Amino acid sequence: MSGDRQESGVGGAKVARRRTLPSAVGEPMVWLTGSALVLCLLMIVTLATLVVVNGLRTFWPGDIDRVTLESGEVVMGIRTAEDKQGRYLYRVGNRDIGQESFRWIDGDKIAQVEQPEHAVMLEREAWGVWFGMPESVSMEADDGSLVALSEGAAETLDQFALLHPDARAQRAKAESMRKRELGKINHGIEHARLRIAGAEMGVDLRENASDRLGWVSWSAVSVVVVLAGFVWWVGREVGVGIGSSGVRQGKLTRFGCALIVVFGLVGIWVGAPWRTQGVTAAERDVIVAQMEHVQEQLQAEYERVLAEIRMSEEQDSKLRLVVVEPTTDRFAPIAQTRGDEPMMLSQVVRLIPANQLSVVGKTKVFFSRWWEFLSSGPREANTEGGVYPVIVGTVLMTLLLTVFVTPLGVIAALYLREYAKQGFGTSVIRIAVNNLAGVPSIVYGVFGLGFFCYTVGRYVDTGPVAGTSLQSGVWWLMFGAAIVTAIVSFAFGLWGKPDPGSTSTIGNRVLARMSWLGWGVTVVLAVMVLWRTPYFAGFFGARAAEGSPTFGARGLLWASLTLALLTLPVVIVATEEAIAAVPNSMREGSFGCGASKWQTIRRIVLPGALPGILTGAILAMARGAGEVAPLMLVGAVKLNQDLPVSTTAPFLHADRSFMHLGFHIYDLGFQSPDSQAARPMVWTTTLLFLCIVFALNLAAILIRAKLRGRMTGAAI
Amino acid sequence: MIEAMSEKRSSTKSAVEVKAPEAPASTAPSPVVPGGMGGEPAHYDVIDAIRRGESVEPTVHESMSEADAVIQSDDFKLWYGDSQAIHGISMGVPRGAVTALIGPSGCGKSTFLRSINRMNDLVEGVRVEGGITLNGSPVYEPTVDVIELRKRLGMVFQKPNPFPMSIFENVVYPLRIDGERRKSVLQEACERSLKSAALWDEVKDRLKESALGLSGGQQQRLCIARAVVADPEVLLLDEPCSALDPVATIRIEELISEISERYTVLIVTHNMQQAARVSDYTAFMYLGRLVEYGPTGDIFQNPKLIETAHYVSGRFG
Repeated sequence: MSGDRQESGVGGAKVARRRTLPSAVGEPMVWLTGSALVLCLLMIVTLATLVVVNGLRTFWPGDIDRVTLESGEVVMGIRTAEDKQGRYLYRVGNRDIGQESFRWIDGDKIAQVEQPEHAVMLEREAWGVWFGMPESVSMEADDGSLVALSEGAAETLDQFALLHPDARAQRAKAESMRKRELGKINHGIEHARLRIAGAEMGVDLRENASDRLGWVSWSAVSVVVVLAGFVWWVGREVGVGIGSSGVRQGKLTRFGCALIVVFGLVGIWVGAPWRTQGVTAAERDVIVAQMEHVQEQLQAEYERVLAEIRMSEEQDSKLRLVVVEPTTDRFAPIAQTRGDEPMMLSQVVRLIPANQLSVVGKTKVFFSRWWEFLSSGPREANTEGGVYPVIVGTVLMTLLLTVFVTPLGVIAALYLREYAKQGFGTSVIRIAVNNLAGVPSIVYGVFGLGFFCYTVGRYVDTGPVAGTSLQSGVWWLMFGAAIVTAIVSFAFGLWGKPDPGSTSTIGNRVLARMSWLGWGVTVVLAVMVLWRTPYFAGFFGARAAEGSPTFGARGLLWASLTLALLTLPVVIVATEEAIAAVPNSMREGSFGCGASKWQTIRRIVLPGALPGILTGAILAMARGAGEVAPLMLVGAVKLNQDLPVSTTAPFLHADRSFMHLGFHIYDLGFQSPDSQAARPMVWTTTLLFLCIVFALNLAAILIRAKLRGRMTGAAI
Repeated sequence: MIEAMSEKRSSTKSAVEVKAPEAPASTAPSPVVPGGMGGEPAHYDVIDAIRRGESVEPTVHESMSEADAVIQSDDFKLWYGDSQAIHGISMGVPRGAVTALIGPSGCGKSTFLRSINRMNDLVEGVRVEGGITLNGSPVYEPTVDVIELRKRLGMVFQKPNPFPMSIFENVVYPLRIDGERRKSVLQEACERSLKSAALWDEVKDRLKESALGLSGGQQQRLCIARAVVADPEVLLLDEPCSALDPVATIRIEELISEISERYTVLIVTHNMQQAARVSDYTAFMYLGRLVEYGPTGDIFQNPKLIETAHYVSGRFG
């Protein structure tokens, strides 16, 4: 072989091959690429480890130290960190008596550290943790004096364990009554008030609705619509004069006609001039009288429930717990302003005698804290308690955004790949869609706030802006024009198609362009007709008039839609790729069987592309779940204990603002009054957020695997 | 009629020996080439004329005009954009027989086949002139619903293309898209067409399994079953064996012979032996033109053109 090569040199000259270059030796590149991968993995593993370790550590109860300083001062708390200078950071709590909740203590100045057996850490409803020694459980006598039920630390702890569950249960009951029953009554009263306000507005509406020459224009439009449909239909049957393509697309045409007629009729019905708007003064009086009666009844009910709650709370406040902290010898007060009264037993969420707990006991505390974290609402400006509403908000928003974005993206991609003629136009659209993915997310937030909340939301609340609604005659004219342009565009679109076996002529192309133009005009007209209708005054006008908009403000619906827009490119790109990956032979086979385009798409293309489409949906979901910046503008709030789902109609309250884990983490880390105490919670919340995103993704991946198995596997 | 056909086919089959008939130029009728009988050797007059882009009258054997044509093309021309792929083909496909289209690559035989059920509509920039009729009704008329047209024809492609569904669903796909939901009807049709595709015994126990698990030959027979399930007027086969191994090819060929007892078959093949084995009539095409068309026995053993003789014996093309 080498001889051949030598002889084959140009002109018989020998081509001397040089020795192998160092750059041709592959090994260094193996090492380089390998180490780059290792570095990446290392970073990811470090991140995950950091989050997991820190997140899990938060709820493990540490030992409580009683530190005596050389100055004689005594400090009690949990050591959380130390620095290079030998200083220790102690979490000392007890904020309500004016103490910083964390304190650096110089190691040199410590005289003695001990871990008293009965030292306890209290987690309280308010003001964070309290460290101290339990002294007694007392009962308030009728005369207001306190009678001790226990003496000494050990006995107090026993007594506490005995009385605490009941006290908590009673408090929880009172709280839930306050929230549920009073909430329901309040809602009823508010509803009645809004009915009255609505009735007042209804009178105005009726008085100002003189501009209603609807009938004439309505009749004209309805005749036009019905005639258009009829003419088209007959034209199709006759087949001559209206264009051959109309006949070729027989079924489509029939369907289109029917659709236009139906749309027209629906539009006419919606804008029905025969329906009266508003109420008369007499009707208003009836409504007002009814509602005032309802209000009175509800008010009485309110008083009764409130009295019940008060009694329960009074009972509750009789049991007191005295836990003395060593620095100033003060006990945990019932409130910051009432420092001379010991706290109520029921104010204690959890009492942790950390030093006498075994590992099992600490594990119990650990899990009980996790349970609280996952199942209850936040306390203390989010730094304590749980994140249940936050989880619900996050999951709900993510699911909603997926539900919004997937169909929209898939349909758009289908058009782009299956129907649209590939060319300059589709390329421009693809580039635009890809660019959309690169727009900073906060921009979407601004758009969402401006468009969804303040424009669409306001329209839903109050209808067209006062003064912009059209005269009814003009409105009907535009409505008719919209329908006529729709019909004409549809017809042009059909006639714009070339005859079978021939390439499109100039006439075809002109008609096709006209059709697109016509659809553009139709859309503009339709938006105008919708936007400036004189027949719609909003669904929540009364409430919006008082300055509390329903949909015209930040909320779950708008947040989901904003994020749907943000993740749309992901779905479109993934779906397009999946559709393109379906072999053309499948489509040909289907067409060869006499399937229509849509049947081919529905039965062959979509099932084949389904795994890819679901991958797109998963990616969109992951992206949407992790997005925080736009949410700050369009719906996520620091605290909203009202979940966006409930057992009362309409069950899904898409108008409500919600809590979101991403925003919650930001809020904990940087916006809380005691950010040092909140730091462990930041880690835990981050861990939870990661887990939820993973769980959502995993669920989606499992569904995809199942579907993929069904598409290709043996069992169908 | 059909009986007569099958009888004739069996005789052709036994008779056809694929070897070059030593047809001297003198026995072949003079090719119809305007001014083609010059000093050049008479060998490839027709082919040369076609290569020069001249219009050539096809040599159609007399017996062809007697046949009852189910598909009749009349000076059919087709362009892909600016390049013309088919230059005025006029031929009839006899009812109840197997007609093969042969010719070298790029001669437009597949294009012609796909023009019959208008699969070429899917290609951007295709233009046609002239007409094709299927059982007397036009194929290229604005009034024709292409979906309805394709339902009247069954088509099998080069590469087996079963859908990613169960075997059962694959077979009844044409019925499904027509909205047939009655289980009994579907099952009956599935069994009938699988039997006529000689696949029933192999798959009857695993109808619910994915069709993608079948072998290539089985997949192609499944595609044939799918093509005949809705009783097409003509079965169009576009090189159905080109992606199969010899054993599977033989099975498909046997199947074509069986199926042609019930259906008219138009098959494109570039395998001459296959054309000789399965078809009753053969059309030889070259560069978008019909060159010679006649009963398979005549084409292979007693062709009128030297070009055909040389092509079927492999000396040319």
